[in-house]
Amino acid sequence: MSQPAITVDKVSLAYRVAKDRAGTMKEFAINLLKRQVQYEPLWALDNVSFDVPKGEVFAVVGPNGAGKSTLLKVLAGVLPPTSGRVVVRGLVSPLIELGGGMNHEMTGRENIVLFGTLLGRPPDVMRQRVDAIAEWAELTEFLDHPLRGYSTGMSSRLAFAIATDVKPEILLVDEVLSVGDEKFRRKSTQRITELMDGGTTVILVSHNLPTVRRMAERVMWLDRGRIKAIGDAEEIVDAYEASV
Amino acid sequence: MTETTTIYDSAAPHRGLVDPFKNTWEKRHLIGLLVARDLTLRYKRSVLGVWWTLLNPLLTTLVFWFVFSTIFTRQGDSDAPFVVYLLSGILLIQTFFSQGAVACGSSLIAGRSVLSKIRVPGEVFAVTASLAAAVNFAIGLAILLVLQLATGWGVPWTVLLVPIPTIAMLMFVTGFGMLIASAAIHFYDVLDFVRVLLMLLVWMVPTFYPVDIVPEKWRIFIEINPLYSYLEVFRGFMYEGTFAPAWNFIYMTGSALLMLLVGVWVFSRSWRQAAVRM
Repeated sequence: MSQPAITVDKVSLAYRVAKDRAGTMKEFAINLLKRQVQYEPLWALDNVSFDVPKGEVFAVVGPNGAGKSTLLKVLAGVLPPTSGRVVVRGLVSPLIELGGGMNHEMTGRENIVLFGTLLGRPPDVMRQRVDAIAEWAELTEFLDHPLRGYSTGMSSRLAFAIATDVKPEILLVDEVLSVGDEKFRRKSTQRITELMDGGTTVILVSHNLPTVRRMAERVMWLDRGRIKAIGDAEEIVDAYEASV
Repeated sequence: MTETTTIYDSAAPHRGLVDPFKNTWEKRHLIGLLVARDLTLRYKRSVLGVWWTLLNPLLTTLVFWFVFSTIFTRQGDSDAPFVVYLLSGILLIQTFFSQGAVACGSSLIAGRSVLSKIRVPGEVFAVTASLAAAVNFAIGLAILLVLQLATGWGVPWTVLLVPIPTIAMLMFVTGFGMLIASAAIHFYDVLDFVRVLLMLLVWMVPTFYPVDIVPEKWRIFIEINPLYSYLEVFRGFMYEGTFAPAWNFIYMTGSALLMLLVGVWVFSRSWRQAAVRM
């Protein structure tokens, strides 16, 4: 029918780690003279290929350092793959490290407009949505206070509310469902479920295996940057659980 | 299913001299918000508010005015009040060029928290920084106009042409700042080095001192500095009511175009690496 929402084709990503940590020009010049400038590539993703059809809930599991967060950043278009190709078709809302990208000196209201615009929405639309977003995040009374007075939970709530307000076509979720209190967890899970039902493609990275079982249709198991297994959610989560 | 609005393809060819301009235009609303944020945040919580923008150039002007007119008893190289000469130079070279280049050069590092999470073209941050410097410059021009009237010197009609050197300087600063930003991705001490270099560049043109204190045989070293042409054109329009020599216009326009194109080209190939390197 239509093309997949996400196509990942033989993607590898290396972080360049300078062997001698030549972080300054002075050190670099010294190392250059000593003919020592060498970079050790750190392969965070190694030849990863998969497709995600539109509307699917696709989860990524794996131990720490497996490359899950790197993969999400590649899908978000933030990290360029070292080789291979990524195609993402649709408006993406990245829920990565919630609260990052918000400004602490600005008020909640200003942050809603700015963060929404950063995510690619017109500022006029965001201005109209301010009240609805604040209401959902239960922050209406703090709307005109600067963010530095917010708790971590409050700013996460605000970021989540902004990113999921206008229906994204693709939602990238990195452990968001584990921040905040029980009430917010339930509320955010419910909103993601609503988006899923509305046809949004969801990529979910989580260590919370019960959540993965409940929400995901397919699961990919990453280990040290490589795909260890990919397929039906129950099956892969069982296998992964057995291995740890 | 309706067609998708946004497609991200990591293998899409980079058009180093087209994409940056396209990105900047597409993100103009975002840039507008960011420039407004830049300016309001800096002054929002201070008592003096927007006057802080002007305090720095005004105090610098005062110091140099005192030094040159009292100690050296020099009055600049035209009939215009020396204080007008000084403030105009400080606004263009210090407020606009020097501070703009540093802000633009550190923009990728400053925008790191956003760049590592949301796909925003790096150009957005660089252009925001140089535009903010341009706005600071424009605010300073208002004070300069008042000063020209207060000293009885007046305002010539050529002031209407001041946007020409302003736009040229905006191009020059953006290109120069983008080169610095590209280098700063790799080595974080680039900015320290650049600050020293900028001080050198600023002192190599008659910003603070009357040009006639420089011996004739050394003038060539002032004139080969492209910033000198910007100063001449700007001062001519702003208060002298004259057109600088043609070579100043050619040098100014040429260096603005060249710096912008080189800066944009280098920047467009390097800013994506910022996320991998940081």
